[in-house]
Amino acid sequence: MPSNETRYANKVFMAGALPLMKIIATDDRSLSKLFRNVNAVYQVSAMADGEKEAVHFVVTNGVWETCQGVYGGSEKIDAELAFSSMEKMNAFMKGDMTKLPSIKIKNIKKFGLFMAVLLKMSSLLNMTDAPEDEETALFLCKLYFALLSTGISALNKIGHPSISEWTSKSPDRCYQWDIVDHSEVAAYLRIAEGKSKAGKGIYPRSAPFVTMKFDNAYSALLILMEKGDMFDMTANRQLIIEGGPEFGVQLGDHMVTVGRLAK
Amino acid sequence: MGLSYNAIEAEKLTTAEYYGKALHDLAVEHSDVVALTADLAKSTKVAAFSKAFPERLINLGIAEQNMFGVAAGLAKNGFIPFTSTFAIFAAARSLDQVHTDICYQNVPVKILASHAGTSFGQAGSTHHSLIDFAAMRSLPNMTVMCPCDGAEAYKLVKAAYSIPGPVYIRINRGFDAIVWDCGPEEVPFVWDKATTMMEGDDLTIIAVGSCVFQAIQAARMLKADCGLNVRVINMHTLKPIDKEAIIKAIDETGCIVTAEDHVIQGGLGSAVAEVVAEHGKACKFKMLGHDNSFSTIGLQEDLLSIAGIDSNGIEEAVAKLMNLNIHENESWEDEY
Amino acid sequence: MPVNYKPFDKAEWLRLEAKAHELRKFTLQTSIWGGSGHMGGALSAMDIMTILYHRFMKHDPSNPDWDDRDRFVLSKGHAAVGYAPLLVDLGYMPVEELHIFNLTGSKIGMHLDSNKVRGVDFSTGSLGHGISLGVGAALAGRMKGKDYMTFVLCGDGEMNEGSNWEAIMSAAHYKLSSLVVFVDNNKCMIDGRVNDVMSIEPIDKKFKEFNFNVGRIDGHNFSQLNIAIEAAIQNFKNGGDKPTAIILDTYKGEGVDFMKDDYVWHYGTLDEEKATRAFASLEKYYEERKARAEREGK
Repeated sequence: MPSNETRYANKVFMAGALPLMKIIATDDRSLSKLFRNVNAVYQVSAMADGEKEAVHFVVTNGVWETCQGVYGGSEKIDAELAFSSMEKMNAFMKGDMTKLPSIKIKNIKKFGLFMAVLLKMSSLLNMTDAPEDEETALFLCKLYFALLSTGISALNKIGHPSISEWTSKSPDRCYQWDIVDHSEVAAYLRIAEGKSKAGKGIYPRSAPFVTMKFDNAYSALLILMEKGDMFDMTANRQLIIEGGPEFGVQLGDHMVTVGRLAK
Repeated sequence: MGLSYNAIEAEKLTTAEYYGKALHDLAVEHSDVVALTADLAKSTKVAAFSKAFPERLINLGIAEQNMFGVAAGLAKNGFIPFTSTFAIFAAARSLDQVHTDICYQNVPVKILASHAGTSFGQAGSTHHSLIDFAAMRSLPNMTVMCPCDGAEAYKLVKAAYSIPGPVYIRINRGFDAIVWDCGPEEVPFVWDKATTMMEGDDLTIIAVGSCVFQAIQAARMLKADCGLNVRVINMHTLKPIDKEAIIKAIDETGCIVTAEDHVIQGGLGSAVAEVVAEHGKACKFKMLGHDNSFSTIGLQEDLLSIAGIDSNGIEEAVAKLMNLNIHENESWEDEY
Repeated sequence: MPVNYKPFDKAEWLRLEAKAHELRKFTLQTSIWGGSGHMGGALSAMDIMTILYHRFMKHDPSNPDWDDRDRFVLSKGHAAVGYAPLLVDLGYMPVEELHIFNLTGSKIGMHLDSNKVRGVDFSTGSLGHGISLGVGAALAGRMKGKDYMTFVLCGDGEMNEGSNWEAIMSAAHYKLSSLVVFVDNNKCMIDGRVNDVMSIEPIDKKFKEFNFNVGRIDGHNFSQLNIAIEAAIQNFKNGGDKPTAIILDTYKGEGVDFMKDDYVWHYGTLDEEKATRAFASLEKYYEERKARAEREGK
């Protein structure tokens, strides 16, 4: 019987971290080459109280689609990492290699491709220092922003107490993450009266209610890797909060919540 | 209109800082400019002024009525006093002095009323000002103005020097959303003409002060959600009001919604209604603001939402007025 | 030193008495032309206004905006029924203006409009504003390097208004020694005697504690008025660091026996019978004033 804490952490992995595989497989030049013309179905699952929680990926001609839940389509699942419990999956995702899943492989080549992406994701998310080259630093920011937006939204949808309280009291507002001159890595989170939606890029409908805007990728990574202090960085303009700073702080709190669950 | 939010400029100032800078720049140009404050020099950011011209900053302590009387005395004797306090203390506590010493004597005192509307949200109604437009509009000889952001505030304060007689300038606490994403010199501004922020013919939103930003967002949302082309007018000068802009809105769009961080009774909405009524042409009309009620304690963004004058509130009001479904194409699916 | 500063001898004293008498009559007449007026408070204030304008103040009726002139703020603005005749008498306006005092279309009425009445520095009427206006004028003078005086005349009931005390505090804070505040302490207000409605005593001590130099004199004695005003001006010329307050102990309706010291005459009407008695009383009063000047003058 997984605890609430376990469920929330697992949701962060299912809805926040693992979906990053799509972004990595698409944006990474060598990986996207490998997936050219590939069709595949992948799944990562965990058992909880006899129910299967899962995230699955459908690759069509190299184009990835991420879906929450168990795959219900007609194709065979080419590879699945099936964890016997959420606790085991959480431990594995946090780096404990003794907590291995049961791996079901229907196509070894496609499984190899999947693992290449998974390993790439692991190496990126396990970085404790910012990468030296700016392109990688920006890419890492894109991954983090995506993880945070979908992670917070998913936690809201399963009723995480502090996050769902925040969304339930909120009018229709959009919280945006962005880096100066690099909106290609941006992501946003729209919330309204208990509902939430994670999105990529700059929120199109209107100016966001709050934008957490970093002057460059390295400033962003200071916060994302929990090495920097929001107030200090705001004071020396590495971070600009457009919109009410009090609301920026609220967003920061929920970012920390996601970060803590994933560690 | 060049509304981009992607540029960060290190020199971007808050509204209060723009006021202080404008005052400083005016004082450099004109030796008759003095600044008066009632123990709020720090809050109204007149540091640059006081550093350059310490002998021209007069602090009257927490005594606003005296401050306005002193301002009138100075104005009658060759000076142009820029006199600042919180809006509620100018409009309520000191109204007799403003009415009699300043307006009746028709002297060039420029009143800088800060922390207006619900901008000092957490201080509560004793420090909010939801009645100042009504009070000031009713005073003969008083020009009433309210910039939508810091850069426009700079333009407006400088213009006030040359506008004859008393001028009332309402600003917020200082942390306004940026509407004009440029330096103050590039802000298009004619003091007695409203500024059209967005063109459109389906309806008009006329807004003032902090509601201009909200109106622009509402217009963008209405375009995205139901394809409407909304005209947004920034009525930065409530008195004398740009009647022509209002009449054009009636004739060309047939529907006006006003939005202000002020009570509905007597402010922008009423001023526009006066023109609509006298023009005598049928026009859908809705006034948004605080409806005969004081505000609660809270952050200003939340108070605007509660009063229905944030972007969501304005969009909802338009949708109701025009019988539209703005939630039809909404999706709450997370994008991966 | 003020222009035309003459020694205060018997001749000077009698000159002032004659002028004040003329102006008291003129006040009653103006009130009759207007139908009614704030006679009580104008009569109590006539001596201070006379000595200021006819002995001490630098001013020029042909140039009311002369920037070096001394300023005068009639903070108790309702005494206009006495102040306007004084200005007419000095040549600021033709007497015809007073014939329609307070009547529709007139430029001159119960409370004088500085934009319409030549010689009036400030529009007053709402009580408690005058000292603030005076502080502004005094500050302006200092900043422009001028040496003009600013005289403010307040009522005693008027001192109830809190705004006065803000201004008094600021005058002392800014060490405005060119500012002189007179309180016409005639001890009456609309609803009764000041001590019964809202007492202001000890008013002299209050000013002292607010860091003013304070004098308290008989407001109907030109000799005492002269000494007090001269001292106040000297204080400024000598670089003093405090403003001055002079409490004038006066009587409402001074000069008219049936009005004297009666709060009812704050505002009133003189019918023909009362007018005759009032003018007769003024003549009698003038004789008493002249006699005192003869007795005590040097």
